[in-house]
Amino acid sequence: MSSKELSAMVPSIDALNRRETIDGVLFALPYLLFFCLFLLYPLLEGLYMSLFEWNPLVPANSTFVGLSNYTRMVQDPAFWNALMNTIYFVVLTVPLMVIVSLALALGVNRDVLGRRYLRTVYFSPYILTVSIVGIVWALFLTTEFGPMNYLLGFVMEQPPNWLGDPLLAMPVLALVTNWWLLGFNFVILLAARQNVPERLYEAARLDGAGTWRSFRDITLPQMRNAIAFVVIIQFIQQFQVFGQPYVMTDGGPNNTTTTLVFYLYDAAFSQQQFGYAAAVGYLLFGILVAVSYVNFRYIGGDNT
Amino acid sequence: MSESVLDATPFDTEQLQQYAIHAGLYGVAILFVVPYIYMVSLSVQPTEYAISSVPHLIPPAVTLSHYSDLLTDSLIVQWVINTFVVATVATILVLLVDSMIAFSLTRLRWPGQSILLSIIVASFMVPFYVNLVPLFTLVADLGLVSDLLGVILPAVANPLGVFLLYQFFRDIPEEYDEAARIDGFSTFQIYSRIILPISKPILSALAIFVFVFNWNQFIWPVVVLQEQATFTLPLGLVVLRDTFTFQPGLTMASGVIAGLPLFVLFLLLQDRIIQAVQFQGTTG
Repeated sequence: MSSKELSAMVPSIDALNRRETIDGVLFALPYLLFFCLFLLYPLLEGLYMSLFEWNPLVPANSTFVGLSNYTRMVQDPAFWNALMNTIYFVVLTVPLMVIVSLALALGVNRDVLGRRYLRTVYFSPYILTVSIVGIVWALFLTTEFGPMNYLLGFVMEQPPNWLGDPLLAMPVLALVTNWWLLGFNFVILLAARQNVPERLYEAARLDGAGTWRSFRDITLPQMRNAIAFVVIIQFIQQFQVFGQPYVMTDGGPNNTTTTLVFYLYDAAFSQQQFGYAAAVGYLLFGILVAVSYVNFRYIGGDNT
Repeated sequence: MSESVLDATPFDTEQLQQYAIHAGLYGVAILFVVPYIYMVSLSVQPTEYAISSVPHLIPPAVTLSHYSDLLTDSLIVQWVINTFVVATVATILVLLVDSMIAFSLTRLRWPGQSILLSIIVASFMVPFYVNLVPLFTLVADLGLVSDLLGVILPAVANPLGVFLLYQFFRDIPEEYDEAARIDGFSTFQIYSRIILPISKPILSALAIFVFVFNWNQFIWPVVVLQEQATFTLPLGLVVLRDTFTFQPGLTMASGVIAGLPLFVLFLLLQDRIIQAVQFQGTTG
């Protein structure tokens, strides 16, 4: 067989590569269609919309306003209120969630009875939808027939109106959020703790290290990446809180639980100010990118 | 263990510590369970007990009337069906398109794929809310407002599954593909008969995750679904709560109906589900 005939039978390297490229693109295409249409395109469109006074009915009649949606935002006290509320919520929620889930993970990792049941119980609220969580807790805390205030009624004259009190509403939302989402962090931290080699603790014990020193010098450094992960994830997640105030307080009382996403939703779908709401979305995005960058820089693992 | 119990003195600190840990862990567990008991209990109490000034955690009388009222007088059956359709169709689509692109990115070589991967990974940073308004105008232009497809299709663009599968597929040894190719397998056969079967654990983990996520989705359906007949359960519950303010039993019964399917799924598959979450944690 001549080499010419052989090369006619065996496809050339070029042909193989071309074939592989075609296959590669074909396999990637279905997801890419979804990705471009429903993620990438809106992302660019949103930036564009944020520069207009957008007319939702006849987009062609929108007026270009440059950056004035952004300047209007920073001049709007309601925006600052929403931003401060959101930061307040994050500060109330995230540290508590990380500390409690770490404590529970370390506890369950010990030689305790019924570890499996405890794990099931702690994790279970995570699979509920926010409206179940909000509705059940709001009823539980209601002043008229809620069991919480019934019990408190035995020890105090006037039990608080949990969700109706401007000082209490946000802390209550933070606690409910902890109940709902703690399990996610708990199971991640539990897995991380179980990955710490036991011999490190044995060696420390031989050196006479107590519980606290083992925790500080072994547990914390060994679990550093997992802790950084849950902190960052929770920061990003909780900054976007929406469902809890929507279901439980409707942003009140006195707008004390109006968060940024709630504000955005309200601007867009109650007031039909699409261009302005798109600008709020972009600003929120900017804040998240900045915060994540700082998080990665300062508390991210050493492999970042 | 038994030895240490015998040796224990009243001041044995290790023993005390052990008791304290149990007390703490079980105390938290009780706090976690009380809302469930309250929800189920209210859902079977006659309304006069549910709104009396003395609440009952243990129902003094049991009735299923709230459940039967819901089934006959509300759209809840329709909402269960809608929710099921959204979660199921989204899960199937995600598994299909995510596994295909992950296969393409890990098993086939073609120009531009690494840039593409970095764009997809970078899109993780995009919070959903940035796209809320432009996505709504897009879905409205496509005529999908108050249409379940308007909820399903954007959910398929979520990059999480691509990333999870990419990491898993990447670690499958190349020898499998090479052996299959020598046996005359086509690219599609390598995908469907080699890679997919090996990846069952990660595919089922992803399936559970996507199903739960879409069953529970809240803000996006609130925006897109504007007619009650097209609602999913999370939206329907809020409507019921606002309509029947003084029939908490009815609201709680709707909560039980909405939560029970996932709760059963969770109890059956909890190891898988927890592994899926932990997998995210270790790769994220």
